[in-house]
Amino acid sequence: MKKLVSLLLLLAMLLSLGSVAVAEDAPVYDGSEVTIIFYHTMDAAKRELLDSYIAEFNTLYPNIHIVHSQIGGYDDVRDQIAKEIPEGIQPNIAYCYPDHVALYNLAKAVQTLDAYIDSEAQVTRADGTTETFGLTAEQKADFIEGYYNEGKQFGDGLMYALPFSKSTEVLYYNKTFFDANNLTVPTTWDEMEQLFEQIVAIDPMSIPLGYDSESNWFITMCEQLKIPYTSATAPHILFDNDDCKAFVKRFRDWYQNGYVTTQTLHGGYTSGLFVSTSEIKSYMSIGSSAGATHQRPAKENGEYPFEVGIATIPQADLNNKKVISQGPSLCILKDTNPQEVAASWLFVKFMTTNVAFQAEFSMNSGYVPVIKSVTNNEVYANFIESANGGDYIAALSTKVCLEQADAYYTSPAFNGSSTARSQVGALLTKCFNVADTEDVDAKINEAFADTIAECEYAIGW
Amino acid sequence: MAESMKTMREKDMRKTSVYQKFFHVLSQGGIYLFLFLMALVVLFPFYWMVISSLKSLAEYRLSPPTLFPVHVMLSNYAEAFTTANLGRLFMNTMYVGLVSTLLSLVITIFTAFAFARLQFKGKELLFAALLATMMIPGELFTITNYSTVISLGWLNSYTVLIVPFLVSIFYIYLLRQNFLQIPNELYLAAKVDGTSDFKYLWKVMVPLSLPTLISITILKMMGAWNSYIWPRLVANDEEHRMITNGLRNAFTDTTGDVNYPVQMAAVALVSLPLFLVFVFLRKYIMSGVSRSGIKG
Amino acid sequence: MVESKQQWKAWLYLAPAIVLLLIFTVWPIINTVSMAFLEGYSGLTKAGGDVTFKIGLGNFIHVVGHPDFLQAMKNTILLCLITVPVSTILALLIAVALNAIGPLRKALQTIFFLPYVTNSIAIGMVFAAMFNVIGSIGTRRPVIVSYGIVNDIIRLISGNSDPKNFINFINTGSSYEMNMLVMVIYIVWNALPFKILVLLGGLQSINKQYYDAAKVDSAPRWRVLTRITVPLLSPMIAYVVITGFIGGFKEYTSIVGIFGENMGPVHDAGRLNTMVGLIYDSLELDNQGGASAAALILFGIILVVTLINLQVSKKRVHY
Repeated sequence: MKKLVSLLLLLAMLLSLGSVAVAEDAPVYDGSEVTIIFYHTMDAAKRELLDSYIAEFNTLYPNIHIVHSQIGGYDDVRDQIAKEIPEGIQPNIAYCYPDHVALYNLAKAVQTLDAYIDSEAQVTRADGTTETFGLTAEQKADFIEGYYNEGKQFGDGLMYALPFSKSTEVLYYNKTFFDANNLTVPTTWDEMEQLFEQIVAIDPMSIPLGYDSESNWFITMCEQLKIPYTSATAPHILFDNDDCKAFVKRFRDWYQNGYVTTQTLHGGYTSGLFVSTSEIKSYMSIGSSAGATHQRPAKENGEYPFEVGIATIPQADLNNKKVISQGPSLCILKDTNPQEVAASWLFVKFMTTNVAFQAEFSMNSGYVPVIKSVTNNEVYANFIESANGGDYIAALSTKVCLEQADAYYTSPAFNGSSTARSQVGALLTKCFNVADTEDVDAKINEAFADTIAECEYAIGW
Repeated sequence: MAESMKTMREKDMRKTSVYQKFFHVLSQGGIYLFLFLMALVVLFPFYWMVISSLKSLAEYRLSPPTLFPVHVMLSNYAEAFTTANLGRLFMNTMYVGLVSTLLSLVITIFTAFAFARLQFKGKELLFAALLATMMIPGELFTITNYSTVISLGWLNSYTVLIVPFLVSIFYIYLLRQNFLQIPNELYLAAKVDGTSDFKYLWKVMVPLSLPTLISITILKMMGAWNSYIWPRLVANDEEHRMITNGLRNAFTDTTGDVNYPVQMAAVALVSLPLFLVFVFLRKYIMSGVSRSGIKG
Repeated sequence: MVESKQQWKAWLYLAPAIVLLLIFTVWPIINTVSMAFLEGYSGLTKAGGDVTFKIGLGNFIHVVGHPDFLQAMKNTILLCLITVPVSTILALLIAVALNAIGPLRKALQTIFFLPYVTNSIAIGMVFAAMFNVIGSIGTRRPVIVSYGIVNDIIRLISGNSDPKNFINFINTGSSYEMNMLVMVIYIVWNALPFKILVLLGGLQSINKQYYDAAKVDSAPRWRVLTRITVPLLSPMIAYVVITGFIGGFKEYTSIVGIFGENMGPVHDAGRLNTMVGLIYDSLELDNQGGASAAALILFGIILVVTLINLQVSKKRVHY
């Protein structure tokens, strides 16, 4: 009997211990005075927009002081935070890409969000009303699923980030030129190849296509062709295969024929070539959907020299459509003060679930909102309605993005994934420049081997 | 016979001297030719920088190129100034340069004085140890200093650009040598008069070492002007960016074509202050440099 | 009493320097050496807690195994072996020539010193612009947007204006040899002023009697140079050669000046990487252990090269 009691007691203890470990409640925000540091890459216009919504947030939570600053580009944010973590001076909230999270996690510095998302506690706001500390079922369902799941792709099934704003790559084309010459917009790479010959026949001085990001091109081809690229678990580097070499070789041919150029090869964003009015120009440009205004030529005498059309990028297989998912998510970095983390969570939740903010931010930036209900927002609906290839080009690119939401992919994140990403871009440019006089296959093999070595070095220990 | 021998010899001598003179002029001409040619090579990049900076982009692309701009585009300079945000970069660099020079001079003077005039235990050993650290490549320090300044919370500040480089063993060495040359009698006389060490240092030693101090000032300022690696690591934000980093950045992340004339105008603007300093203070720079073997 | 007061005062004068040196010089030396032997040391990983780094030579092996390591060694050594002799000989000839002339000497001296007071990144951009060819040179259908003055001069001399015949010095598709050629020209141009200055200073302090003796013997100029000037100048020559080698092994910014942080032409980033570049690469990857190991390797190389230089000059230099 005694034995049984003690056994039961032990069992109860184990269970209670276990339950503590599983459902560790997130500390709820209690209204205390905290200052939250937020690193991002927003330009002046977006910062101003953010400020106006911070003011709105502060009417609900006056004691949460948000200090935000632009730290250059995405890589600068990553580098800065990676420097700050070892010294314990990192910000509370940061713009992030999956590989940033993987890097910070070397130091176990990123707060997992599951407990916060699931919290059913109520928080009292300054106006006396309350809200659920976590995400309501409604809010959770409102996130576009693909974006939401990006936050838990780190191998342990835990949630490390919430999506903030998204973009993808789209194909910009010179609609005026296409219409005048009866050209059809390519939907596959094979059609693209035929189009090159047609365009060069019409304008021999042109480089028909500019593809901004070599890295995206390489990774997207892997996705479209279902070729292994990298893996979140070791062995990480998988792209050293003949299928990859085959498409690289094909694109090299295009470059050698003067059909295509890229950002590094051209020495600047290829949009410069696309909007150029000089003799040497391109008629198509693949770039970020968030950069639509850069793909529009400058007005001459009050008119655009040509109209821009926007389409989805070419596919390898129309039954397996893949476009890259880009754009920042938000992560919360751990802090010794649980109230700072709780306050950060409230602000992250505010930014990602506030319909008006998501709508305005999208209209301002060309990024796509991450919640579905934005499309029901009247102002936003009007914005999308106004889409055209001139003054409302940002709306047009957003529209094209929204139409292909099911084709988005992300590549695995691990320590070294950002090196792999930049290395495959460099690999592409290197292979493009193998001259006809050299042994092309051997040189491509060599370039692949070098790239693999660089990637393995970065993964290190 | 003897007479004719003499004239013959005289003639001969005159001949050799004409001969020698001819060769002298020839070789002297050759030397000048060589020097002019080399000077041309040395100057060409500067010439090209200046005339390119005054051309329009269309003219810059002309082939064959014009050797002097047909249409002088001074507007390139205005554009360069705004594109690269040179105003801010100039201010940052000047500020860092001035403050670090000033502080560095004070520290150098104190330290050099202690090593030159004061007696303390382990003086020779300490000085030798300091000189030995000059052998170590700077990169070896950078790795740790980088973490140190981060933990001090100095990232993206002026402090981080100034403080880590305030002590230069080389400057201390330079000034100590100079101090040692000042006769000991002066010091002893001052002691007898009851002048304090501190007063003696500022009233006698510093004025007597002015040329060396000017050399140090210029080298330090040039160092600030040319520094690249450290600022890039620790203070590459808009507010604190230094001139070299700004220049490199402004023309690498452009959209589309690089406007070379504007880029050259920016380079010319950045080079100008150093040229001016050089023209006015050539003597000090040259004497400082010839002893250093380091740039900046 | 007076003694101890002096002691106390001396340390007071030294205090600012000592404090700064302890933080920014002494501590880094200790820390770098210890990090170099902690395998895989990284500030981020350490911040994650509960990790211990094995003590060993792993970092050194890792760095030597870097795909760019051999290339960086090759670049650094090649640049040193070419630029140091070339710039020293050129500087010697110019210094001797300057010493032999009367009029215009000051003006020419000033001109030759000009490259010294320039910003090596800024003038690197000028060199890059001079050697540039923008466009897809070297492909089947080259499209040339613009090109720099050097190709203009080549075109003028050869009279051939086909873009296929342009020389691609530094751009996409350029060869290693051409990249190195541009680097050598730039580094020599940059290194001349200091060497000329030192050698000219040395020349001016040579006793005129030696030359008078040579004049009596009517020795030709060339022989005067090789038999009198060079031996008498040998301490100065040794000095510029040694500092040249030390500087050469630390080459980094001049390459950034021409090629940008790519450290190579666009299609082959890192091809012109150097030892110093490797240190910064490791640092960017948050691999402080590797960076420390690379820095120690560089220190070792510089030490060995300097010792060899000193050994050679001991035999050759006439004091």
